[in-house]
Amino acid sequence: MTARSERRLGAALVVPAGAVLALVALGPLLATAWLSLRHRVPVLGEDRFVGLGNYRGLAADARFWGALANTAYFTGLSVALELLLALPLALALHHAGRGRGALRAAVLVPWILPTVVAAKLWALLLQPDLGLVARLWPGGAAAVLARPMLALHAAILVDVWKTTPFVALLLLAGLQAIPEDLARAARVDGASGGRVFRSITLPLLRPAILLALLFRSLDAFRVFDVVFVLTEGGPGHTTEPLSLYAYKTLLRAGSFGRGAAISLVTFLCVVAIGLAWLSALGERRHAEAPP
Amino acid sequence: MTPSLRALSLLALAAAFGAGCRTREDTRAASRLILRYQPLGPDPAPFRELVASFERETGMEVELQALPNGADLAHQLLVTSLGAGGEDMDVFVLDVVWVAELARAGWLADLSDAFPPARVREEFLAGPAAAVVQGDRTFAVPWYVDVGLLYYRTDLVPEPPRTYAALAAAIRAAQAEAPGIAGYVWQGRQYEGLSCNFFEALWGHGGEALEGDRLRLDTPAARAALGWLRELVADGLSPRSVVTAAEEDARRAFQEGRAAFMRNWPYAWPLLQDPASPVRGKVGVAPLPGETGPAPGALGGWQLAISSRAPPARRAAAARLVAHLTSAGANAVLAIHYGRNPARRAAYDDPRVRAEAPFIAGLLPLVERARPRPVTPYYMLAADSLQGELSAAVSGLRLPAEALGRAQAQADAIAGVAR
Repeated sequence: MTARSERRLGAALVVPAGAVLALVALGPLLATAWLSLRHRVPVLGEDRFVGLGNYRGLAADARFWGALANTAYFTGLSVALELLLALPLALALHHAGRGRGALRAAVLVPWILPTVVAAKLWALLLQPDLGLVARLWPGGAAAVLARPMLALHAAILVDVWKTTPFVALLLLAGLQAIPEDLARAARVDGASGGRVFRSITLPLLRPAILLALLFRSLDAFRVFDVVFVLTEGGPGHTTEPLSLYAYKTLLRAGSFGRGAAISLVTFLCVVAIGLAWLSALGERRHAEAPP
Repeated sequence: MTPSLRALSLLALAAAFGAGCRTREDTRAASRLILRYQPLGPDPAPFRELVASFERETGMEVELQALPNGADLAHQLLVTSLGAGGEDMDVFVLDVVWVAELARAGWLADLSDAFPPARVREEFLAGPAAAVVQGDRTFAVPWYVDVGLLYYRTDLVPEPPRTYAALAAAIRAAQAEAPGIAGYVWQGRQYEGLSCNFFEALWGHGGEALEGDRLRLDTPAARAALGWLRELVADGLSPRSVVTAAEEDARRAFQEGRAAFMRNWPYAWPLLQDPASPVRGKVGVAPLPGETGPAPGALGGWQLAISSRAPPARRAAAARLVAHLTSAGANAVLAIHYGRNPARRAAYDDPRVRAEAPFIAGLLPLVERARPRPVTPYYMLAADSLQGELSAAVSGLRLPAEALGRAQAQADAIAGVAR
């Protein structure tokens, strides 16, 4: 077979997968983009083209900027905390001798719980009258969810509690891919434990860390369920992330065009975050490649 | 994809397949009706028997389909289905605040022939009658009602307060007698329950929320009402946690004996009187207080409507089903077996209701005064932003005047765009 016909065959073989992708991903995306250029309120029987009107509306909408800030803050803080907690956890799991399997399974329990269940659990713990937190910290935590500054942090706490194990497992996989000979050789050369970690483990773990950051920040930016269960966005929209604002605009306020605009902005943010992490990953690969 | 994007693509798929399903729909027998309702209680038998007696009388067949109990979710499902032109239901339940909206959308069949407005006004309570009659046409029939009530502890409060000043004094007195007890618990979470509490305070301050078709939120009475709710929290007359409380949070706190007063719906009564309840036998019920005297409670509750997409053959049968389910006899069944307040005045004099559900029979004066939230097609569309602004004010993020100004601007934008 010539190279050309081989390329043609390759293209033909990719077509079905490409078609499926277009149908399930690109199609709805374009439909959403088109919808975001319209003013559509089915209950009022309204449907007309408004161009970028919905986006102009969002630019002047304090609630939208608040939701964007909430989402960014939630993503930044929860992902940073998860990484900081997961790294020691992964190292401990990696070096644990006997019972490593059982330990790993135990650590995964929060991750296995459906988010809604986990959030409901925490809502009960934080419940101002009967909750455990209120009992252990009387007065102070009487109404964690009632304080605008604390409520969003409660949602972050739940997310960190739930997803740290997942990040730890990703890092653990990275740790196990590092050849032990390297560390041993360094030890023979007289390097201390801290030096081995700094100069060998951490640099080799970098791809795993970036991958974890990629997964988690994309996931955290779309946060919905934790906040929906804990506060429904209250008090006064102070815990409302973009996805909840989009949901409420679409399905409660019935404004499909505007809801689609919020969805699309969320999507673009997620794409930007994803590209940023991917380019960081790619740069590293490039730097590692032999000259 | 974000959840909403996913929801959208599902909608698009549903619309695409809608055409295919419709042919199948047409083959559904004219004698088979679909009723979508919210399950009434743990024991379905009495309601099934009510439906079965209709089937025996008419030879029709009724398929029961459940809607979620959360009002917001049920609304979402109905709107999505009706908006997509769905013919998968003939009779369905409606919250009081949806009738105007769905009637304007043209999705509710006109029931004026079977239920003339004059007769609806005469036989049913004033509040629900006002909600289902739009202009001079009937779009739904009241099924059962709900009303906001003041619950109080009879062992701590000698006499229920009639005014806000008396409520504050009674709370101070109760707290002197039982140190550490919270005062007045209500619903301050960011959701529709908060709006009910707000409108009750508004009426209690002598205000109105509707001017013609326009929602009027930024008025002196509204600012006073929202200011009062905020002060309850700021002055410690209500615990700080009320700004996160829904009905069940308030009910639990009150039932545990942690509060002297509670605003809630009638459903709390049998739970408070449960043998295991710490406050059993120590609870009284009264109208909500107002600035100068008792205020009306917010009207909740459900109506039955017929889809305008139902073909004429099935529509007549559907009207008979609605008449059957909203009859005085059916009202009594719902009151006795499910604790639902009848929407018909006559049902409160029914000897069976008086004997077996005395609490419900005794609520007649309160449900007669209950008022619906603003009856306008734009209410549901504005409800979401209103909830957010009310929540911001009661939790102290914004002053009431500022929050109401913002809510007013958003409500006007929604209605203005529509005109």
